[in-house]
Amino acid sequence: MKEVAMMETVETIDVDYMELDDIIEKEFGLNKENLIMILQTIQRRYNYLPKPALAYLATKIGVPMSQIYGVATFYSTFSLEPRGRNIISICLGTACHVRGGARVNEKLEELLTITDGQTTEDKRFTLESVRCIGCCSLGPVLKINEDMHGRISSDEVKKVLDQYE
Amino acid sequence: MESIILTINGQKITCPAGSSILDAAASNGIYIPTLCHHPQLKPYGACRICLVEDEKTGRLLASCVSPASPDMVVATDSPRVLKHRKNIVRLMMAEHPESCIVCNKGNRCELRRIAARLGVGEPDFYPMPNFKPFEQLNPFIIRDLSKCILCGKCIRADHELVVTGAIDYNHRGFSSRPATLNETPLEYSNCTFCGTCVSVCPTGALAAKNALYIGTPEKEHDSICGFCGVGCAISIGTAGGRIVEINPSRSDQSVNGATLCVRGHFANDFIHAPDRLIQPMIRVAGSNNRTDAGEEPENTHAPATWDAAMGEVVKKLSAVRRQYGPQSLAFIGSPRCTNEENYLFQKIARAIFGAANIVSGGYAMGQTLVSKIEEKSRGVRRTQPLADLESAEAILVVHADPDHLAPVAGYHIKRAAKNGVPLIVMDARKTDLAAMASTWLRPALDSDAGFRYADLVNCLAAHLLRENAADDKFIDKHTRGIEDFRFSLENIDLVQTAKQCGVRPEAIENAAKRISGRKVALVAGHDILHLTDGRDLLDALFNLAMLTGSIKAKGAGFYIPLGESNLMGCMDMGVAPDLLPGRLPLNDGHREAMGRIWNATLSPDSGLDLVGFVEAVESGAVKAAYIMGENIVRSLPQSERVAAALEKLDFLVVQDIFFNRTASLAHVILPGAVMAEKSGSFTNMEGRIQTFGPAVSPPGQARADWEILADLARRMGHPEQYGSVEKIRQEIRQVVPMYAALGSHRQSWIKNNDIDTPFSGNGEKFCFSSVRSGQKSRTDAAYPFTAFLAPPRFHLGSGTRTSRSERIRSFDGKPLSIQLSLSDCRSLGIENSHRIRVSSAGGAVEANVESSPALQSGQVMIPLGSDHNRAAVLPGLADPDENDAYGWTVCRVGIEKISTEEIKP
Repeated sequence: MKEVAMMETVETIDVDYMELDDIIEKEFGLNKENLIMILQTIQRRYNYLPKPALAYLATKIGVPMSQIYGVATFYSTFSLEPRGRNIISICLGTACHVRGGARVNEKLEELLTITDGQTTEDKRFTLESVRCIGCCSLGPVLKINEDMHGRISSDEVKKVLDQYE
Repeated sequence: MESIILTINGQKITCPAGSSILDAAASNGIYIPTLCHHPQLKPYGACRICLVEDEKTGRLLASCVSPASPDMVVATDSPRVLKHRKNIVRLMMAEHPESCIVCNKGNRCELRRIAARLGVGEPDFYPMPNFKPFEQLNPFIIRDLSKCILCGKCIRADHELVVTGAIDYNHRGFSSRPATLNETPLEYSNCTFCGTCVSVCPTGALAAKNALYIGTPEKEHDSICGFCGVGCAISIGTAGGRIVEINPSRSDQSVNGATLCVRGHFANDFIHAPDRLIQPMIRVAGSNNRTDAGEEPENTHAPATWDAAMGEVVKKLSAVRRQYGPQSLAFIGSPRCTNEENYLFQKIARAIFGAANIVSGGYAMGQTLVSKIEEKSRGVRRTQPLADLESAEAILVVHADPDHLAPVAGYHIKRAAKNGVPLIVMDARKTDLAAMASTWLRPALDSDAGFRYADLVNCLAAHLLRENAADDKFIDKHTRGIEDFRFSLENIDLVQTAKQCGVRPEAIENAAKRISGRKVALVAGHDILHLTDGRDLLDALFNLAMLTGSIKAKGAGFYIPLGESNLMGCMDMGVAPDLLPGRLPLNDGHREAMGRIWNATLSPDSGLDLVGFVEAVESGAVKAAYIMGENIVRSLPQSERVAAALEKLDFLVVQDIFFNRTASLAHVILPGAVMAEKSGSFTNMEGRIQTFGPAVSPPGQARADWEILADLARRMGHPEQYGSVEKIRQEIRQVVPMYAALGSHRQSWIKNNDIDTPFSGNGEKFCFSSVRSGQKSRTDAAYPFTAFLAPPRFHLGSGTRTSRSERIRSFDGKPLSIQLSLSDCRSLGIENSHRIRVSSAGGAVEANVESSPALQSGQVMIPLGSDHNRAAVLPGLADPDENDAYGWTVCRVGIEKISTEEIKP
């Protein structure tokens, strides 16, 4: 069983357990029914779900770790991998595609040297492709965090990225 | 209960309010197919096969999760229902590989059965096999999830029945599958390989690995597992005269339900091990060579006919008795043999040979504790159904690790805790139960008081008395000595005692609050009498049981997880130095009465216990021994000393199934049979007597043990002929009133004592014991560590059987590896995989190190069990009653690092 440690990538993140206690106990009353909301709060804090935090959560609320893992892998909103400070959603749906969304995506991959689903080494950006953001009239569309960048051309991509630290 | 009336398929049906449509239909003989439903699991509604149509509203409902309501009109096989049901099956089949010919589930596959019934042959969909590979090296379970239909039975059984939580659904949609945390192989998860998931899986997605045979067994035989004392009902699948698989029995009356443990499910392949004894053997004259286990018997022993071997046994045992008297004979019975065999065994010893030295290996596994509790409680509660634990008011577990020793008993406790029963665990080890406990009281090993549980239990009692939370009615009516007890507790300084034990006083207070005003189920480790404070602890626990009025109540009182399948029955049949059959003390009255029934004169002396036996052989007082089904060289501490003693015997008969260390020292070896090869009955830790019949024949010329004993009785000129198991049962029913029900049904219960008890109102009372002040445990600078020795869950006892299971062996083939705490590793400069020498007053072993965060400083965990593991040299062969030293399962050791190179397999 000790081999488990070797199999997992070692996570160096420092989890603030006092803060975690506050989230689990004060905010959500140590109630396992609130699991998804607790996970959302942890993800907001760390941008992803650090495994040590999940292990701590599991013993704290008395839910098997495998079950928490099941929930975390079910919802695409949760990530078990560290994510960047800024999440780029590039739309590759039909409308954006015919207006050149793929070219914008190529440009992003070229500038950031990452592909779909990956995070830059400096943790500045995570690139995710999506199927539709619901504003096809603005296509091609790029969403960074909560900001919409519509009718964007591949030449403008660098300027947009520079706005985010 | 209120009942409602509804209509299913035009038939008026009455069912209790609140039942599901599925249950209502099933109880009226109407068939609705299901895949994800299991009667012991909560309804789930995953597979949708059980769709029915509500004819009034036209809605399709999953009948397993839809409650029946009054006046409902339901159709279970309307054209619409059938169309949808077929489509669901077709979709499942489209994803399913075409591998039915070589599928382990064979004809038992529920998907195939339902498809056949619905007439779905070809799915007529484009096949979309969904291959989800896993790395799987474990020797127990194959996961072929291309056959998975996502019914979730494995996950639910894991969470609801076994309460381990090793697997859950991962991902979503097409990629979803039941898997472990981080999708690691099972062996890296907290899976215990109980195999419950394999048994409940409706398809071939989960199957037993390393099976001798793929497909449906030719026959299935209901039987009882022969490993631990839980006595799980099993179904033995056979093909071609061999056992090919074990599953939980489908009986709904069993202790285990749908669960088993890794041993019961997977380790029974030892039965067909190549080194089973298949013919009687006689030691070659002049050969005194000792052989180690595994060595060929041919060198020292020659095959013989049954006639020659039995003739030799009769001749030599009679000669020793003539020359040295019956006191020079010793008979060692077995908690692995049946009630009938043990009864016959002790009768032969007592009535035919007039011997007094009758003992069993159960002595090392908790028999003393069971008999002491019997004595204290006057036998008012000999039966303790494990199922009652789930409705217990509170559970206190003291130095017990049922998860490893008797896993199915552990599931009952874990289920109770999961459902909110307060669970208090008092254990220096971090057991699986400790991790689930509401309060875990962990005595420190380096504290002033030494390592004592009795003080902690007394603190609980003192808290209850101070808070007036004791059951005064019970105390007034049924006990005496409360005043003395109260007075002796007043001398205890609660805060000080807690601190001395290394436990926070608030934790004890917290635990006391949780049991306050409740009846308590006391789960005590089978080895508590082997602890330094064993007797004090038993007294303290019994005081607590009286204080809380827990002695006769349902779901309360004493539960002792036992490690052998018939430990209870072996004692009940009188295979004990100081008890006659029926747990009767060996006083003149009982002895004479028994002598009249048997028409014999019985020895008036009580016999030797196992330690006394070894000492008596060493001193030459015992000259000959008959050992049945007990590898005492491996199961007792100090193997070398025991082996040397046995070599001194003039004559040793060993009746066993393997050529083990003990058998290798015998003058005559008689090949016996395992439970699956004979008829008989076992009495489990609950007091449930369960009968079983043979599933296969004994190998070669081996015989059922009762047949060997019947033959011996006949040859010794005993008038009674035991031609069948039933004949022996008849006699037991007559001689042992508490077994009056033996054999009348597949299972029955032993009878509780209701004469002359505090409940029969004739002045008898239970008695409080005063608290003795705790003596300090002896410390010895040479041995500063406390070692806990126990077999891991893959092994049982000395590992004579489990080590011969191919599956267990391939999983556990590593060299001895000993766990140390992180802090001790640091201070000794030891790292993982370093080689250390562990020494005690008894001996020393070399082992690899594994550091564990679960251990506290000063604690060492040493696994026993696997065949070549020599760790049993560490504990001393001391009598636990003498109460002077750390005993057989806990001992003091010293540790030194000898190399940074680990021992290679």
